[in-house]
Amino acid sequence: MEILSLNNEEQHIVLSEGEKRHIVLLNPLCARLFVQQQSRSELSLHCLFLPESESVSSADISIMQDGKECRTVMYGMALLCGKEQFSLETHVLHNIGGGYSEQTVKCLLADSARGSFYGELVIAKDAQKTEAHQTNRNILLSPNARMDTKPQLEIYADDVKASHGATTGQLDAAALFYMQQRGIALQDARRMLLHAFLSDVMNSVPADNVIAESFDRKFNSLSV
Amino acid sequence: MLDILNLHASVGGKEILKGIDLHIGEGEIHALMGRNGAGKSTLSAVLTGNPAYTVTEGSVTFRGKDLLAMSPEERAREGLFLSFQYPVEIPGVSMVNFMKTAVNERRKHLGLEPLSAAAFLKLKREKEQLLDISQKMQNRSVNEGFSGGEKKKNEVYQMAMLEPCLAILDETDSGLDVDALRVVADGFNKIRKPDTSAIVITHYERLLEYIRPDYVHVLYGGKIVRSGDASLAREIDERGFDWLEK
Ligand SMILES: Nc1ncnc2c1ncn2[C@@H]1O[C@H](COP(=O)(O)OP(=O)(O)OP(=O)(O)O)[C@@H](O)[C@H]1O
Ligand SMILES: [Mg+2]
Repeated sequence: MEILSLNNEEQHIVLSEGEKRHIVLLNPLCARLFVQQQSRSELSLHCLFLPESESVSSADISIMQDGKECRTVMYGMALLCGKEQFSLETHVLHNIGGGYSEQTVKCLLADSARGSFYGELVIAKDAQKTEAHQTNRNILLSPNARMDTKPQLEIYADDVKASHGATTGQLDAAALFYMQQRGIALQDARRMLLHAFLSDVMNSVPADNVIAESFDRKFNSLSV
Repeated sequence: MLDILNLHASVGGKEILKGIDLHIGEGEIHALMGRNGAGKSTLSAVLTGNPAYTVTEGSVTFRGKDLLAMSPEERAREGLFLSFQYPVEIPGVSMVNFMKTAVNERRKHLGLEPLSAAAFLKLKREKEQLLDISQKMQNRSVNEGFSGGEKKKNEVYQMAMLEPCLAILDETDSGLDVDALRVVADGFNKIRKPDTSAIVITHYERLLEYIRPDYVHVLYGGKIVRSGDASLAREIDERGFDWLEK
């Protein structure tokens, strides 16, 4: 696993045939990442926005599956508060058939934080038997927080499996009350539910102290 | 234990409870019956402090304290437990973690040290056995993917772990098969201490064969229209509610 922290930088990466790579983009600021995948390569990518100070962060990620039977698994996560802002753009291009891609983006926005996710997914005409999924789930912790989501699917092949879904909401009131009825304080119940919400993304990150510490610091500083 | 005086409450702008009076002494079991939509679950929601419900009039005293002034979690820590009619699924929150937090909050309130990991495990095993619950079930997320009957068992398991002073069982019998009903009712009777009180909401007299009520009440039109002993439940089982609503 390699951790990149691109600040006003652009990086090009090529995954050669059969190569497996795990990249973590931690707190990118105006970052551009291009990844070109050759046959049967596997890319695992995390893009984590856990800003330590008020900032406007952005990442623009392009992944091109240029060889057959590539695998791309991407997770995005943003924890924002105050007046912080982030934007994530992803472009996943399936140019050759038989590939697989999966994107899961989860965001937690408190106070008057703002976020946007633009997810472009293109399956070219010849990219038959492609499987591609995209989900974006957001929780707004304050009425002043805002999240804009724009999925953009362009599918030109006919024999593919593709899905996308986006939701933005609040914590489940019935679950919160159930926990309170068992004696768990409302604030603790909220934190437990938020932890659960983010757990699939966090569990997918390989164990790393820097990431774990920066997640905990940010998570604990959010007024839930 | 519990004193309800002239309790009025509404939900979604509609008044459901229109003057409930109910006194529950230590160790007493009260059955609460009434048609679908009569307001039985509304009463449990109001007593436990569900924020979706508004109390418009009346008072409730629980163990000498003003119940309505307490937050839902304070009521629970004080010893009020609700076995939900519809237990909630909480994906991503493990049953073990949930239960450990709940048990230790109750203990803290009682001035007790938190349980050690080993002591918690021992207690958990003991209560699982009492209710014939598999350990596997307890390794999953709270109620997630549990069958209807498993959810009800899980409610009574939580009651066993928390040892409340007053338990409200809201249709805990619905969804349980005959054997499970016996296990849950026997479990309930074993968990109960002599001074544990209960409100048992049910549509079926069958449960009351196992958990014998001292009193039976019928809710209609937002009020308790009839109170009696266990024979009232038998009579309702035979004759329905019509004759009580005149
Ligand atoms: N959020 C709500 N908004 C409007 N009406 C509600 C709401 N919740 C409950 N009610 C109404 O309140 C009334 C009482 O419901 P409640 O669930 O207390 O009945 P119950 O006696 O428990 O019935 P059952 O035996 O079917 O469980 C019903 O008419 C129901 O439709
Ligand atoms: Mg009900």
